[in-house]
Amino acid sequence: MNFYVALTVASLKMYFRNWQGVFWSLFFPGVIMVIFGFINFGGFNAPNVGVVDRSNTPVSTRLISLLESFGSNEALDITVGTEDGLATLLDDGDIDAMFLIPEGFAEGDSKSVISVTADIRKPQEKAVALAVLNASLDRLFAEIEDVPAEFVVENRFGVEESSVEVDEEDFADFLVPGIAAMAIMQGGIFGVVFSLVRFRAQGVLRRLFATPIGPRHFLVGQVITRLTISLIQAYILLITGALILGVSVGGSVAAWLSLTVLALLGGALFISMGLAISGWAKTEDTAAPLSNIIALPMMFMSGIFFPVDVLPEAMRSVVQFLPLTYLADGMREAALDGSSLLELGPELLGLGIWTAVIFAVATRVFKWE
Amino acid sequence: MSSEPVEDNQTDDVIRVENLVKRYDDLKAVNGVSFEVHRGEIFGILGPNGAGKTTTVEILEGMRVADSGTAMINGIDVSRDPRAVKSIIGVQLQSVQFFDQLKLHELVSLFGSLYSRKVNARELLARVDLTEKSDSLYKTLSGGQKQRLSVAVALVNDPVVLFLDEPTTGLDPQARRHMWELISSIRDGGATIVLTTHYMEEAEELCDRVAIMDSGEIVRLGSPSELIEELLATGFSKSRTVHPADLEDVFIHLTGHGLREDS
Repeated sequence: MNFYVALTVASLKMYFRNWQGVFWSLFFPGVIMVIFGFINFGGFNAPNVGVVDRSNTPVSTRLISLLESFGSNEALDITVGTEDGLATLLDDGDIDAMFLIPEGFAEGDSKSVISVTADIRKPQEKAVALAVLNASLDRLFAEIEDVPAEFVVENRFGVEESSVEVDEEDFADFLVPGIAAMAIMQGGIFGVVFSLVRFRAQGVLRRLFATPIGPRHFLVGQVITRLTISLIQAYILLITGALILGVSVGGSVAAWLSLTVLALLGGALFISMGLAISGWAKTEDTAAPLSNIIALPMMFMSGIFFPVDVLPEAMRSVVQFLPLTYLADGMREAALDGSSLLELGPELLGLGIWTAVIFAVATRVFKWE
Repeated sequence: MSSEPVEDNQTDDVIRVENLVKRYDDLKAVNGVSFEVHRGEIFGILGPNGAGKTTTVEILEGMRVADSGTAMINGIDVSRDPRAVKSIIGVQLQSVQFFDQLKLHELVSLFGSLYSRKVNARELLARVDLTEKSDSLYKTLSGGQKQRLSVAVALVNDPVVLFLDEPTTGLDPQARRHMWELISSIRDGGATIVLTTHYMEEAEELCDRVAIMDSGEIVRLGSPSELIEELLATGFSKSRTVHPADLEDVFIHLTGHGLREDS
């Protein structure tokens, strides 16, 4: 059995001596993560605004419909609700701002003030929401007083703003566990495919076949090596995210246990995928495009750089079953919500089924020479 | 491992091959080959490219399965127990590269561990004149050094039979002569060697007996001098005068016997 140790030690040495490989698999994803984390692509959607209507008169209802239909494309995504409900949504980061229409809005001659509470981390959304609110109030005033909107200099509605600090995930929180999942995929597929296709081209797999051990055991050594690397990768990326981007990762032993199990299971899945691809691809020339065809769509659709929610409904129903989606979702839940293994049942099941299927395919299509 | 039982009582044949056949589609790569290799000899398998030398040897090494016929090594049937055969033979394959990123002593130890053996890597490397390269990465070796390393790797299990498949192809004359000395010294250490080559001077220099193959069959088997006598007895003579020296002798004389740093 000590040849497993020898083979694993040898493949680890080979891996770490190839500094280009180390760079691309360990540091490059980290660099990408930090850059994207700082850019903060968080808000490119229409701001989500919650409206509390305490007045509930035709005028206040009219204001809401003006807000909803503002601009040719709706500029704001309006949700009407109770103050408590919307405050919770705001606190969870599910909406970006809340408008409160006071009782007796636009009744009598006194000035009616709408109070706006916005998420402090989202100044752009707040600015857009305020601009739309002010323009809508001008339109409303013009309708009530029957003057052309362009003549409205000052209306009798006021706006009072405040900001609220929320502790919801921002883009960096979303990004870090996803990048860790992506790095496990890249390392598994590309790392395995390129080293095995090269070893096969060099004939060293054939040479191993001439020993009593045979290349099957060599593959076990490779898999152990790759699993170790994917674990190191996941840890490095999560810790980098925590230190540089301020993402609060894990936080409990249970969460780190979940992350470890997910990294190993995801590693096994994508290593099997790499074995299958390297069995299929005869040369390095076919290995690269084949790996990319499989890895790239997952990289962009499985919720690594943006949430799966932004995809069209039809695509989403497929994407949710992709291996990388399970891994990224699981790692996100474990890293951010501290989910234990029990809470990650669906993700672990999905990953387990994929691993079994792909490993079965890999053992069929793999060739030694 | 030389304690394995030897079935043969009459002569000490370490390899016995009977009626070996291997087909690829309709091509008969090996077509009814039979021969014996005596313990302690260097046995050459000669022939042009595509004659079936490599296929024959790969069947003996347990790397390919024959369609019919039997091959026994040290009393073990290769088709029945290829693993047992693999553990007592040493193999040097044609055009095999080893792991680029490993140092030579690491490569030798790694292969030793595949036979569950602890090997003295530096001593083995010294045997093939690679002491100074022991701590270098494989990828820094020259062609001749790579060939010598693959011989060192083939010796990690102290094999009963050593298979060398075209060990000097692509080497310069100095490196080739150096390899010849190495092969002789391994035989002197007690191993039996099966060698394929298409260099006749190599076979004449090294081999005790040779089998000449063509189109998957052995067309003649004997010692080099026997085969030459046999040919001369038919009245054959070379059309031009044979000098007591040839151009290779001139080349070696001018450029020296010493092995070059990079060869």
